[in-house]
Amino acid sequence: MKRNLLVSVAMIALTSGAAQAQMKFPIGEDDTFNWASLEEFKAAHGDLSGQTLTVLGPWLGGDKDLFESVIPYFEDATGVDVQYSGSDSFEQQIVIDSEAGSPPDVAVFPQPGLAAGLAAKGQLKPLPDEVGQWITDNYAAGDSWKKLVTYAGPDGAEHVYAFPYKADVKSLVWYVPENFEDAGYEVPETLEDLRALTEQIAADGEKPWCIGLGSGGATGWPATDWVEDMMLRTNSPEDYDAWTTNELKFNDPKVVKAIDDFGWFAKNEDFVAGGVGSVAATDFRDSPKGLFESPPACYLHHAASFITTFFPEGTIVGEDADFFYMPAPADGSLGQPVVGGGTLFSVLTDNPAGPAFIEFLQTPLAHEIWMAQQGFLTPHTGVNPEAYTDETVKRMGDVLLNATTFRFDGSDLMPGAIGAGAFWTGMVDFVGGKSAQEVADQIQATWDTIK
Amino acid sequence: MEGMAGQKSSLTWLVNIAALVLVVMWTIPTAGLFVSSFRDRDQISATGWWKSMTSSEQTGFVRTGTADDQTQDGDLYVLEGNVLGEGQSLVGWGTRSREPAAYKAGETAELDGAQLTVNEDGSYRLESTAPFEMRRGERIFVTTASPPHFTLSNYSRVLSAEGIGRAFMNTMTVTIPATIIPILIAAFAAYALAWMEFPGRALLTAAVVGLLVVPLQVALIPLLRLHNEIGIGKGYLGIWLAHTGFGLPLAIYLLRNYMAGLPREVIESARVDGATEFQIFRKIILPLSFPALASFAIFQFLWVWNDLLVATVFLGNTREQLVMTGVLRELMGSKGGEWEILATSAFISISVPLLVFFAMQKYLVRGLLAGSVKGG
Repeated sequence: MKRNLLVSVAMIALTSGAAQAQMKFPIGEDDTFNWASLEEFKAAHGDLSGQTLTVLGPWLGGDKDLFESVIPYFEDATGVDVQYSGSDSFEQQIVIDSEAGSPPDVAVFPQPGLAAGLAAKGQLKPLPDEVGQWITDNYAAGDSWKKLVTYAGPDGAEHVYAFPYKADVKSLVWYVPENFEDAGYEVPETLEDLRALTEQIAADGEKPWCIGLGSGGATGWPATDWVEDMMLRTNSPEDYDAWTTNELKFNDPKVVKAIDDFGWFAKNEDFVAGGVGSVAATDFRDSPKGLFESPPACYLHHAASFITTFFPEGTIVGEDADFFYMPAPADGSLGQPVVGGGTLFSVLTDNPAGPAFIEFLQTPLAHEIWMAQQGFLTPHTGVNPEAYTDETVKRMGDVLLNATTFRFDGSDLMPGAIGAGAFWTGMVDFVGGKSAQEVADQIQATWDTIK
Repeated sequence: MEGMAGQKSSLTWLVNIAALVLVVMWTIPTAGLFVSSFRDRDQISATGWWKSMTSSEQTGFVRTGTADDQTQDGDLYVLEGNVLGEGQSLVGWGTRSREPAAYKAGETAELDGAQLTVNEDGSYRLESTAPFEMRRGERIFVTTASPPHFTLSNYSRVLSAEGIGRAFMNTMTVTIPATIIPILIAAFAAYALAWMEFPGRALLTAAVVGLLVVPLQVALIPLLRLHNEIGIGKGYLGIWLAHTGFGLPLAIYLLRNYMAGLPREVIESARVDGATEFQIFRKIILPLSFPALASFAIFQFLWVWNDLLVATVFLGNTREQLVMTGVLRELMGSKGGEWEILATSAFISISVPLLVFFAMQKYLVRGLLAGSVKGG
């Protein structure tokens, strides 16, 4: 008995020592962080030591290290041992594990559609009702976010089943400021300006856009981001929501117009580097490189915030390359819509550490720790924006905070057969020469078959 | 006669040439992957591997020093430096992105009110009568010719990746038992199906052959649920059983066909001499079946070694449980696209199976013929 006690004391000493050592930012030292929120959280949940919490998510490599840098603060506050594991086939893994009866305690969903499916099967535990209210109160465009995580359970009753933490902005256009300066171009403020700039660059004998849709088995998805951006710039957010659930048919004139709006950029030989034929053939990871060639292969590139990973080595974002918000139409009737992505945390077991972890993610500190590193944006209005390491990320965060409408990537909300199938291949057909109407009819036909 | 002989030799030539062409076609992708594993990411995206052996011309830019680096030379403010990397030579240079090679070495150009000269050796001199104030260097566009360049850094990055040693041991712990257990079981089963008379033998054999076409993916969920229910959960025992199950149909089929082809006289004379079935199996069948056993061992070893799916489902994804393929996959990050790591990982993970293959290669060819020539 005594020996057991000694061993466990030694273990606790060891593990707490290890946790301390792993902390990126020592507790209480830097005033940028909201340490008080950690203290508050600790006061409410100090009694979970000895528990183990397994977390399964899609992050690998660098992203995984970043997420794991947030965990020690939770471990320190509660004594829970958190074990994160990442998988590149997360979508399959979570289904297999939960169906087979060995789910992780907490899962990190990159796609709301998948979480909604598991919620309907009763695999997810509903979160307390306060969480929904909390999201509305504390997140920018909070109602949009709350709607995103509210699903029908197995009994048909709607609950909040997930908590959004970490967001991406997709409505961005990347450019090289010095090339703009050389050529005398201005950053466009409205969608009309962007079209005018495109025409101006083409008139100067240059190619304005680099567009690459290639992505192995997922070829075509970058075009879905374009179409989503166009949808929100020509239609109301309600129409967008109806579109993702097929209440608004895919071949509705509104959707066809959005596809054609994308075609205005992508299907004009003079507007795309390498010509229209190269759009579907170019890998999306290689397409931004045209910005950095000399002479530049293109001047503009539409991509989400993560694209900086694929810039040439040594590129300093904010100086060598920069972005602007994919502008909204000049009349302002649709406000400043933002299309984005994000990850959603759900609890799958009765482990009491699960809900505690969700509550931890609500503390400003949990956001600030990752903000202070890289690759993290948050719609949380209560965090200290000073925590962002550089001006560029902070400006991206501003895009998110200033959004009047936030909508999740529509293709991730649609059923897999559409959002990760017919929509992708349809876009490849579209840039390959088919008309928007044909492509939209084709996608709607697929949607009809899965109803 | 002579004409016929000539015909035959020209046909042989044709066969040889066709074989050579096929061999070259089949090995080109591997060769390309091998070359790519020695190139860095920017090189891979700039030019194809087949151009890696010749010197290449590249256009890029170099930044001048900033205001902090300027020196004063009489009335002039001067920034100096070099635009060339090691081994490169200058083809042309420019000051604007649209004309990156507007000037030859030694020429002088105007750059924001200052005079810029770039010399043959790459040294540049930017001089101005007013002091420089920029915080960030001006861009000098250069077109350079670089000699072929190869690097070992991909290999050192993969080999020193976090957890690779642990993952290697995990893979070994999975692979060796997952190769041996199915052979043990399959050898008994194959002997029974080949040489022991019992009702329903043909049907049982047909069932085993039928199982060959069942994709293992359909069994993942039910099998994992079974493991959870009988208390094995996720772990080594579970993955050994899973690999054994998935490997058995092929193993039994292969071994049965080989054993059925062994000469009946040997077995029957042993029976006449009073040997029991187990003695026949152990003393006669097993030694004679060694080529088939070895060839199946290679198949199973390769398959388990390269497996990622079964390992992530039945073993798990945490640091302590990851197998080699999992760690290599992790190196490529969440979004993929790091071809140099992919190429390098392929060659590192291929090395152990290659060793196994060469060690047992002489049995493989004999084993592949297993059962195809009866009585042979």
